[in-house]
Amino acid sequence: MKYIFRALLYLILIAPLLLFAAYAFSTRWFFPQPFPVEWTTSTFQHAINDSRTLSSMAQGIWIALLVSVLSLILALPAARVLGLRQFRGRQLAWLLLFLPTIIPPLAIGMGLNILFLRIGLAGTITGVALAHIIPTLPYTIFTLSSAFARFDENYEFQALALGANPLQIFLQVTLRMLTPSLVVATLFAFLISWSQYLLTLLIGGGQVITLPILLFSAASGGNPATIATLSLLFVAPPVLVIAFTARQLNQHGNQIREQY
Amino acid sequence: MTTINILSLSKTYPNSTAPVLKDFSLSIHDGEMVALLGPSGSGKSTLLKLITGIERPDSGDIQFDGSTILNIDPNKRGAVLMFQKSYLFPFLNVEENIGFGLKVQGMSSESIRAEVKRMLNLIGLPGIEKRKPGQLSGGEGQRVALARALVTNPKLLLLDEPLSSLDTSVRMNLQEAIRSIQRELGVTTIFVTHDLGEAMAMSDRMALLLNGEIVALDNPEALFHRPRSLAAAKFMGVSTFLDGDQLTVKNEACSSSEKIFAIRPEHIRVQKDGCENSMQGVVSDCVFRGEYVEYQVAVNGTSVRARMTMPAPMFPHGEQVYVNFPKEHLFEVEN
Repeated sequence: MKYIFRALLYLILIAPLLLFAAYAFSTRWFFPQPFPVEWTTSTFQHAINDSRTLSSMAQGIWIALLVSVLSLILALPAARVLGLRQFRGRQLAWLLLFLPTIIPPLAIGMGLNILFLRIGLAGTITGVALAHIIPTLPYTIFTLSSAFARFDENYEFQALALGANPLQIFLQVTLRMLTPSLVVATLFAFLISWSQYLLTLLIGGGQVITLPILLFSAASGGNPATIATLSLLFVAPPVLVIAFTARQLNQHGNQIREQY
Repeated sequence: MTTINILSLSKTYPNSTAPVLKDFSLSIHDGEMVALLGPSGSGKSTLLKLITGIERPDSGDIQFDGSTILNIDPNKRGAVLMFQKSYLFPFLNVEENIGFGLKVQGMSSESIRAEVKRMLNLIGLPGIEKRKPGQLSGGEGQRVALARALVTNPKLLLLDEPLSSLDTSVRMNLQEAIRSIQRELGVTTIFVTHDLGEAMAMSDRMALLLNGEIVALDNPEALFHRPRSLAAAKFMGVSTFLDGDQLTVKNEACSSSEKIFAIRPEHIRVQKDGCENSMQGVVSDCVFRGEYVEYQVAVNGTSVRARMTMPAPMFPHGEQVYVNFPKEHLFEVEN
């Protein structure tokens, strides 16, 4: 029974990807045919060889990495305080942090665009990355603060008493204790940034082209093979990253569980 | 190696009015093990936090070998901690855990390996270098935590109820192990506990703490037999206190009728016939405990707890008896 469910789950997850693949690697797939009759890689090769596709992917990955690092740096101190301390105004802090997920991104994007135009960040990768932090930060803080809530500061006190300085404690104890949650938080930030369309369009203003932007313009163009190809490229990095980290996360999870 | 002087230390936490420590002073000799015994909230753990530097005192001073440590960073004080939980780093194996303190201080990895090996022999667990903390039993974990603390050659070892999460047999074992290792290395030690037996078995001197103040400080034997104050006596398990005028025959020490006298439960005799210094009462409870019998006798509206070693008479509930306070065992306590 368990295996049937598992197989079903895999099928549901993989089916859309298979459909994309079928569209991307075939020509002239018409209604009554259950499967494409003519297979070809020409659309795929065309898309891969298109410099716009590659540069948009490179830009997207670069921005997503930048956003991941920046939101981790911003989230760690906030998450620590929210996870470990009780203080007046804690609820308010949470509300303010989650506000960007409630307010429509269009409202933020438009306002931010005007500000970024004025200070020269509009149309730059830095500007887009900074804008992406708005939707990623709530998720990274949330993930890390629940990790801190389970974190026992006595581990740090131990390290302190044994002679470690604050930097050594942070790098060799705190970060390593939190590794699984850090990976998850980074993943969140990366994926949210990677799939961000609206903020990239508004702040990038046509100068910063990421894959979602290309995908949307292809979608309005209406060639199913191109759309399917770009979609496959769009899901590739997240799938790879998750597949890679899932193993690591499991190992870490087991280690942490052993301790308790 | 180190003499510790704690001089009129005071600490009040920001959100409370009552001080956790009031004008607290304590001197600990080189290589001595002092037990701090007190109920929770008596300031024991706060004192450890102040010594390690996790918290700062409001006033007072802490000196190692005569010089203050308050302006030294916590990681350079040389005061190591061991808690109730081992707090071994779960991502490091036993060797890396024990070597942690030496590694952050920049010792070479060969020297670390040798030191770790020496410590593992000392704690009686040779050859477990590559095990992960999750594969250790509670007692083994605490031994490794002790090794991790002592390998740095600390000036002061602070033990914060290190045995209270362990089974009785493991606990007795570790009491002896900690005591002998502490003596062998001659490391000055403060041992926090709420277990009287443990404090007596392990320490050179005991400090009894109540509401941030020391109510008594002496070696375990003296404190056990002749606590000087009412509070100290209660700590040491004495529950029977008598006004001087209740006694018919007094010993030399018991001269005034205004003073309070105490007697340990195992010195009180419960018997059928009255004699000097006895009171009539009714047995309300009589429990056979194997090595001794424990009695509760209602005398003049208060309950007197007594213990008699075997062979001892058993009395049924409601029996009329006399409780006798032998004069040689009565001692005076200050209120």
